[in-house]
Amino acid sequence: MPSQANRALPKAYQLQNYKIAKQLSGGGFSIVYLAHDENGVPVAIKEYLPSQLVLREEGSLVQATTAENLATFRYGMKCFFEEGRALAKINHPNVVRVTNFFRANETVYMVMRYERGKTMQDEIQSRKRVIRESFIRRVFAELLNGLREVHTHKILHLDIKPANIYIRLDGSPVLLDFGAARQTLTLEKTKLSPMYTPGFASPEQYKNRDLLGPWTDIYSVGATMFSCLAGFAPQAADQRLQNDKLVSAKKLWGGQYSDQLLEIIDWCLQLNYMDRPQSVFQLQKAILEKFPELPPKKPKLFDTIRQTLTKEIF
Amino acid sequence: MKFAVFQQSRQGGRKYNQDRVAYSYSKDAVLLVVADGMGGHYHGEVAAQITVQMIADMFQKHARPHIKDPHRFLSAAMISGHEAILDYTTKHNLMESPRTTCVAAIVQQDHAYWAHVGDSRLYMFRGMRMVTRTKDHSKVQQMFDEGKISEAEMYTHPERNKIYNCLGGFLPPDVELGKRMPIRDGDTLMLCSDGVWSVLSVAEIASIIDTYTITRAIPELLDHAEFRGGEDGDNLSAVGLTWGEAQKRGLHHDTVSTAQMPLEDVTTRLDPFSVQRDPAARQPVTEDDIERTIAEIQTAIKKYSK
Repeated sequence: MPSQANRALPKAYQLQNYKIAKQLSGGGFSIVYLAHDENGVPVAIKEYLPSQLVLREEGSLVQATTAENLATFRYGMKCFFEEGRALAKINHPNVVRVTNFFRANETVYMVMRYERGKTMQDEIQSRKRVIRESFIRRVFAELLNGLREVHTHKILHLDIKPANIYIRLDGSPVLLDFGAARQTLTLEKTKLSPMYTPGFASPEQYKNRDLLGPWTDIYSVGATMFSCLAGFAPQAADQRLQNDKLVSAKKLWGGQYSDQLLEIIDWCLQLNYMDRPQSVFQLQKAILEKFPELPPKKPKLFDTIRQTLTKEIF
Repeated sequence: MKFAVFQQSRQGGRKYNQDRVAYSYSKDAVLLVVADGMGGHYHGEVAAQITVQMIADMFQKHARPHIKDPHRFLSAAMISGHEAILDYTTKHNLMESPRTTCVAAIVQQDHAYWAHVGDSRLYMFRGMRMVTRTKDHSKVQQMFDEGKISEAEMYTHPERNKIYNCLGGFLPPDVELGKRMPIRDGDTLMLCSDGVWSVLSVAEIASIIDTYTITRAIPELLDHAEFRGGEDGDNLSAVGLTWGEAQKRGLHHDTVSTAQMPLEDVTTRLDPFSVQRDPAARQPVTEDDIERTIAEIQTAIKKYSK
């Protein structure tokens, strides 16, 4: 099927009481906008717009490309609803909050709180220094609180990666984009193909989708932690299944981070889902375990000098 | 006597739920029952309902406050269930008697007793370890015992649904009794229908039961099983009991304590018989559905925004 790009809503377009400011991102399934409500409060609005099924070339109305697609479009809408329905019940500081849900332009919209900060991806890429163990432990322990809440509501995220984790200005993480989450809610074969990000998606997301479970998100959490250390994603799981070239975290960073943390990462990245932590709770417990401090290295001469020079005086 | 108990039954992808579950307890004894009405037979859910009801009623009569001979009780109760099904068949002039499997357990005085007919199972777990489980009265189990097929093949064999022992059949049931098992604080008994065990490995069941308290573990198990079962998955039912007041890693147990119960009292949890609605899940999405769902989501947003 030719995939034509859908037109985003134009700047300053008035969508009910929200004024579109700009397009933040556009996936195959939806477009996300930054908008402001009548009080000028910024919000993120997600528009259901599967590009394979419907088309908006001009104006704002969305039209299905064929009659058959209309049914599938409606069906996908049901999935979008499921996402909204699930998120509506989750009011957790580490999960993006849905504030409104409405119908317009022949499609549906989900309004979410707009968070200020940057994605973990930016965080990883912009940091010149190595990310510290205490940062990883704190951020992930907090993030897993959110993920636990999500799993409690019988939803799997299925697309956890640094780009979908937002670090607020105060340093707390927020789990974003539940666009892939819909996959878990139904086995209906639709034209909406499964979504995943190579490197972060678990082996069972490529094949054996009936094996999806909490361990699937846990693999992605492991891959995300790995990328915090490495600065890049681990080898994609489908390639690992053929020829596993992934070097264990313990081998790569032994001595720089505590063995216990590195073992957690390797544990999450097991190809066999049964060998990973089976629940977020189990993983969180491991992360929160008191970790042994690394034995202090003997400071090098230059380090001592640098320390003396940069010592805070006040 | 202290324990935590939880039961749930779901329709899965089928038109009817022919599974029935119940638990009941007196001051000194607990009863757990699962019956799986047989799909190919007329009124399978009637058979399951009659059986569960019969066993629970008899328990209420005999648990004063404990059962004198639990094995004899279980065997007698199941045979009464079988006879009650035959009575129902005669009374309603049915062409064929409805049939059901059944597994039931009694826990009292720190010992567990159980009995089963057919392929509904009982599992006993101690931490991550499976202490024991019942052996199905099924063709595939027989073939496995004779060495004709492997354990893995039992789960995929085309005749895996055939069972040779049930309640309500031509032949009186051959009730298999388990050994009298000592039960320790923290041990878990889980009784379930084949809709649950056929799609989950023992390791998966064990890890879920070990991770969560029983009130969370049972829904979790059914979630996984339902998801694997897919669109036309089987009915799913399970009832679980964790003995004692074991605190699972700081999680709070909804423990039942019978210390304050009067001697004659019996508490029973058994859902009344009702004809299940037809699933409308596959209907196309209409305008009304969309409007209704949006209203529903908005209500949820408001409700959870505080």
